[in-house]
Amino acid sequence: MRRLLNFLYKRREIGVFLVLEILSIWLLVSYNNRYNASFFNSSNQLSGFVSQSSQNVSDYFQLDKINERLMQENELLQEELRRLRISPTAFLDTINRYEVIGARVVANTVNRSSNFLTISAGKKDGIEIGMGIITSSGIVGQVKSVSDNFATVYSLLHPNFLISSMVKRTQTKGTVQWDQADYLHAELKYIPRHIKLKKGDSVVTSGFNSVFPEDILIGIIDEFDLKDQMTFYQTRIQLATDFTSLGQVYAIKDLLKQEKDSLELL
Amino acid sequence: MNRLSIREQILNFFFLMLIQLPLIHRITLFDQAFGFFYVGFLLLLPVNISRSYLMIIGFFSGLLVDVFSNTPGMHASACVFIMFFRNFWLSFINNDWRELPNLNILFLKTTGFFAFIFPLILVHHLVLFLVENGGFHFFGQIVARSFFSTLFSGLIIFLVNFTCSGNKKKA
Repeated sequence: MRRLLNFLYKRREIGVFLVLEILSIWLLVSYNNRYNASFFNSSNQLSGFVSQSSQNVSDYFQLDKINERLMQENELLQEELRRLRISPTAFLDTINRYEVIGARVVANTVNRSSNFLTISAGKKDGIEIGMGIITSSGIVGQVKSVSDNFATVYSLLHPNFLISSMVKRTQTKGTVQWDQADYLHAELKYIPRHIKLKKGDSVVTSGFNSVFPEDILIGIIDEFDLKDQMTFYQTRIQLATDFTSLGQVYAIKDLLKQEKDSLELL
Repeated sequence: MNRLSIREQILNFFFLMLIQLPLIHRITLFDQAFGFFYVGFLLLLPVNISRSYLMIIGFFSGLLVDVFSNTPGMHASACVFIMFFRNFWLSFINNDWRELPNLNILFLKTTGFFAFIFPLILVHHLVLFLVENGGFHFFGQIVARSFFSTLFSGLIIFLVNFTCSGNKKKA
């Protein structure tokens, strides 16, 4: 009897070990379901607050750099505005369709195998799960989960994040996905072999889903390869967004999303 | 002696665990070395805590770090894994480990301290990066990252412990 008890006592530790490991694996697997309002992520209040405070300190030491970046962005916007005034009808359909919500990045990774961002805008500011996030230079990601004041965002540098995209010159549709290699490049998939690609072609969003508006720059084609047996090109693009220095980002709210999605369900 | 031990645990918890949280994305050296020095807090928990409790503390510490890095379960699983083997490894390093009032540089000596923490940190980081990567592709990169991160985390743990136990000598 005593030996049995000893035996069970020894096994108890292994039991605790197994239970905890299984629990962590379950957490990990359930988190990877694409969109959820999980408590265990960086958009919860405590973690958001800590990241924001830490970001505030580091921002303070880069104020001049941040100012300069905002200035450049203003210049770009001014230019665009002037162009719009010249041809007032060109973007009429998009002007009323998208609403833009500004936010600050409070936490960001680029070196992990799957990267996330935390931004300082949440439900109170109108952020919803599934919204697209852009910056002035290109695509950033898509909202994964949201709390009152913060949101966790799938970075483009996450292997589960796919973007419906288009080679601008040829209007060919494809998909951009990160290949986990480095934060400067991603892969462009499903470009059929009869298309003539060129190095330096720009790749933009297709606007086929209601996450991103049409024609936002994702990157430019850096290198491509076409072997005899391949149906599709193997293409690497250089990303337009510099993920190491993200400061100000914009969430895109598609006001016609529901209408579009309900039509496509039919 | 017991009171000192508690004081040192609190210092460890503060310097190795709480300081880690806001810094989790910020300290990366050369795109390779990640400083996950919170492991030090777990490794240096007193020896009289039973193994089950060690694993439970490890699980929740890991989960706390996970919340900040958007990886629920990843740090937790790696922590539970090393906490399972900690006392076993300690008994290799030091034969009368059960009599040690406190795990720090004073009692383990510098070489013993390094021999104790480095292999366990390496195992933790290997498990962590393997689970994160979700497989054995990019294996070379994982090994390199684990190795450099181990050096980095281990050095920080050593420095923190060096400072804390230095205070203790005077007390």
